[in-house]
Amino acid sequence: MRTEAIDEAVAVRADFQGGKVTPLAFQRRGREHRVARVNAHWIDRVPRHPHFYFSVTDESGDVYQLQLQAADLVWWLDAVTVEG
Amino acid sequence: MGVAGRAPRPGSGGCPASRGARAWSGLPAPRPARAVGLPAPPATGGAAAPSASPAPVAPARPAAPVAEPAVLHVDIDAFFAAIEQQRDPRLAGRPVIVGAGVIASCSYEARAFGLRAGMPLSEARRLCPEAVILEGHAQVYRCFAEQIFACCREVSPAVETYLDEAYCDLGGTERLHGDLVEAARALKRAIRAATGLAVTCGIGPNRMLAKLIGKTVKPDGLARIGVAEADAFMRDQPVERVAGVGRAHARTLRSMNIRTAGELRALPVAALERLFGVAGRLLHERCRGRDTAVVSEREVPLSISRETSFHRDTADPAEIEGMLEYLAGRACRTARELGIRPRTVALRLRYGDGESAECARSLAAPSDADPVVLALALALLGRLFTRRVTLHALGVALSGFVRAGSEQGSLFEEREAGRRAALYRAFDGIRTEFGHGVLVSGRALHLKGRLEEDEHGFVLRTPSLTK
Repeated sequence: MRTEAIDEAVAVRADFQGGKVTPLAFQRRGREHRVARVNAHWIDRVPRHPHFYFSVTDESGDVYQLQLQAADLVWWLDAVTVEG
Repeated sequence: MGVAGRAPRPGSGGCPASRGARAWSGLPAPRPARAVGLPAPPATGGAAAPSASPAPVAPARPAAPVAEPAVLHVDIDAFFAAIEQQRDPRLAGRPVIVGAGVIASCSYEARAFGLRAGMPLSEARRLCPEAVILEGHAQVYRCFAEQIFACCREVSPAVETYLDEAYCDLGGTERLHGDLVEAARALKRAIRAATGLAVTCGIGPNRMLAKLIGKTVKPDGLARIGVAEADAFMRDQPVERVAGVGRAHARTLRSMNIRTAGELRALPVAALERLFGVAGRLLHERCRGRDTAVVSEREVPLSISRETSFHRDTADPAEIEGMLEYLAGRACRTARELGIRPRTVALRLRYGDGESAECARSLAAPSDADPVVLALALALLGRLFTRRVTLHALGVALSGFVRAGSEQGSLFEEREAGRRAALYRAFDGIRTEFGHGVLVSGRALHLKGRLEEDEHGFVLRTPSLTK
């Protein structure tokens, strides 16, 4: 397993229903990655405004880490983990 | 984020003891005779029967049933490795190791190969070549742990937390929860719903028994032991399992051919005190299943430590001192956030050949200021780092805390200390807003460009070991 840092602000389509947020798809380099599965989510409450993290698997099977910063509601694509 | 099956917070629905209280008529109900120590007969809920005596008597409070003390121990199974398997489903069912240099945590699939925490990675690779080795993500683990501890606080008014386990005081909550085993089961479900992780729960009359009974049903288990079973249960436990028996005590006891808690009972308390000092008296009680340590939320931690290994073993003074300044600064910031000041500074280092050294010294006066702590840490480094061998790891630990402002101040340094405190308050405010890495001072500047950075500061090599 190898994790590559990306650290890019990305556009994310998300569901905010029921008082929780679920990422559905994100765009990177003009390509839409649909979220096939949210593997895990956690919240970092140490910063003044919480950061919401999601580990997601896209349709191709790659695992990405997305981050939503509550202060400005900007989504970040933190990293991708690839086999090998 | 909701927690499924959340139990009401104790105390939130009024005093539990007041529930089901009967309305008092003017006269007391006759108290049926019963043996001392037996539970009171169940309340009938009906009106009080008239007294045989016509004279008015002040109503007597019924004897409340004495609840058995109950402690719930929650242990997160294969904590770091389980989170990594959770974050990446491709790791599910595979042996996963988290650690750098040594195993910090490994999955149950890895444990089947004989791997365990603390084992060198070189040995782990030999035993299980197909294991996936990850360096770990301390920040992520902390977030998961906080979520689990928040679930625990929903069922208990006092929760004592550690890295991957928690003790919850359930004493007196029977009226709130009913069956405590069912409450623990609901907690397990809530934790799984919130985090996807499995925990093992043990319930016992004290902390030690709760933890020990939990060990018998790992992973993802739930077990309870009562006072009546405690004696027999403890008798066959290895001495290492008795709370307070570390490696040194165990070695001493084994040299005396004492292998189980039952065998330890043969030693009189005076002999144990001669062997182990104050701890001897505790061992005398604990080997009988009696543990009086209370569950308490530690407002003041025993110690705050920051440690890491270097990306490559080094003897470069600039790199070592830079890392020391960074680690000391992180530890001081945590102390300031908690409003406490350390009296003692300890330095730990591990050489590239595996040998380690540790030394601690007290400050002239408790201080949470980076330069004061760093000056002592540098002095300790000069005293400890004497071999001509590269360093593998470095750590600093603060302890002996006092509440900020509660200690005797120095008459002539008050003004200077006030200015310094204001400066560090400003530093901390900026770091909270923009991330720890935006301000780097002095020797730690040497790390810039050498180490990766994120919003939490420098990315250290062994984040899983960076507490």
